[in-house]
Amino acid sequence: MKNILISILSIFFIFACSSTPVEKVDVQETKTVDLTATQEQKSDDDVVMNNVEVGEAYVTILFDYDDDTLREDSLSELFEISRLMKSNSKYTLLVEGHADERGTREYNLALSERRAKAVEDFLTATGVSSFNIEVVGYGEEMPVDAKSNEDAWSKNRRAELFFIK
Amino acid sequence: MKKILLIFIISFNFYAELVLEITESATKPIKIAILEKNNNSLVGQEIIEIISNDLKRTGEFEVLAFDELLSVPLNEKEVIQRDWLLLDVDSIVFIEVQNENTDLDISYSIFDVSYNDTEDKRRVLGLPDSLRQSSHYVSDGIYKFFYGIDGISSTRLMYVTRTSNIHRLIISDSDGFNEQVLLKSNSSIISPAWSNDAEQIAYVSFENNRAQVFTQDLASGKRELILSSKASVSSPAWSPNDKELAFASTKDGNSEIYVINLKDKKIIRLTENIAIDTEPAWSPDGKKIIFTSDRSGSPQIYEIDVRTKLKRRLTTEGSYNARASFLNKNEIVLVHRSAMDFNIASLNLNTRELSVLTSTKNDESPCIAPNGNVIIYSTKDGNLSYLAGINLSSKVSFKLPALYGELKEPAWSPFIR
Repeated sequence: MKNILISILSIFFIFACSSTPVEKVDVQETKTVDLTATQEQKSDDDVVMNNVEVGEAYVTILFDYDDDTLREDSLSELFEISRLMKSNSKYTLLVEGHADERGTREYNLALSERRAKAVEDFLTATGVSSFNIEVVGYGEEMPVDAKSNEDAWSKNRRAELFFIK
Repeated sequence: MKKILLIFIISFNFYAELVLEITESATKPIKIAILEKNNNSLVGQEIIEIISNDLKRTGEFEVLAFDELLSVPLNEKEVIQRDWLLLDVDSIVFIEVQNENTDLDISYSIFDVSYNDTEDKRRVLGLPDSLRQSSHYVSDGIYKFFYGIDGISSTRLMYVTRTSNIHRLIISDSDGFNEQVLLKSNSSIISPAWSNDAEQIAYVSFENNRAQVFTQDLASGKRELILSSKASVSSPAWSPNDKELAFASTKDGNSEIYVINLKDKKIIRLTENIAIDTEPAWSPDGKKIIFTSDRSGSPQIYEIDVRTKLKRRLTTEGSYNARASFLNKNEIVLVHRSAMDFNIASLNLNTRELSVLTSTKNDESPCIAPNGNVIIYSTKDGNLSYLAGINLSSKVSFKLPALYGELKEPAWSPFIR
């Protein structure tokens, strides 16, 4: 009985108390930006085909984990590219760097660009003009194999070389 | 065929994408019941359901279902204390809905069963179409009453989904409802970040075949490219006052940290060396920036004073520490490689003590809730990314599996109230 009395009293007290904390609700409004309608898929028309299939890289160079040094087994292919480019200065080479999924996306973006840069540095050292080379990093965003194992990762740690007009 | 596909995708969007599964509950959740005071209205039931779900999602509450109750009091006076003590219920939350004119307000009071007394009474003012958000405010008030920490039910989450080759940047309420697509693209979107006033976002988009940072006004959808460059620009981070944006770019040949003043577009370069410097994050006072650098041969976290440019290394343990952000002024959260796995860890800056917080594999992109007590991160099981989270004080862990496609790059909104 006493308890009930107290609770009734306390309810009265609370009702009587005008300082109940009050909050006002805010609702956020947003707008969608849709790029898919206007965005073209990356055009393959720009890629000069030298006996390679549409959209395929002319050469793919592989790298070790968290590393941007060129492996010895990549050098002969790069010398070949260098020779091609020096014999025809109209060629422009696009070097796309990629990383495997391990580690953070942003660090992988920087790492992938450094891989592409390593290819550029090698080619310029062999006498190719850096004006004819474009470098871009895609990080872990475009894996060739989406699986999570060493086989997939070793394929994804790569630089892809395309000739563009 | 294309049209059919489109309809398919759109109809999918009506479902809440975030379904939360508690993987580890609190050792002793607080047991409560939520009842409508002196009424049993449809809108009352709806509100009670939203609040119940919010509280259950924390893993720190057990909310009794209606059919588990021994008696159903209409108000505090009718509470039969014995019934509730028998069920080991801590408190009863009474909800009152005031649906007058164009307003929909919710009053709530917390009745402590053992004291047999009302402990707290509050009121949330809203509109009928903000019913969910008003209910979340009530949930947050209840959470704070019991745990002394601000609740996060009324906050929002931003994340990236990928279905086939369509990437979407989405924000939704923290329970996955009210999903809104901010950007839809054929190319990757990474590193989304909220401004501190929650009115704008920044992110990296590959829509022009390289990494570029855009800011976007949430209400108008107006986008701005922050820096036009042939090199990559990435990893945006809003300064605490939203006047500046820190970012990483290779515009000077190698990945370095910069700060751009968003008003006059003046750029300051902070780092200068041949290593990778990326992933800047501001200290809460805006005086320092922490970032990832591999200048020692492996990625580690460094700190730089924005004004004096004095640097110091923060992480010493392990061969991979990256993507750090401040949990509070003395603690940072980062991605740490332990043995073969990448996990989320915290580092106490005073004691230099590193604690690994997660036990999943290939964890990345940690983001901290505005109450500083919950971390959501991206992880991978099989070929698909999904989100997982941990509550630092209660050790509750949970996951948010993607219902379709991939779910990644979470970013927690600041408090929106």
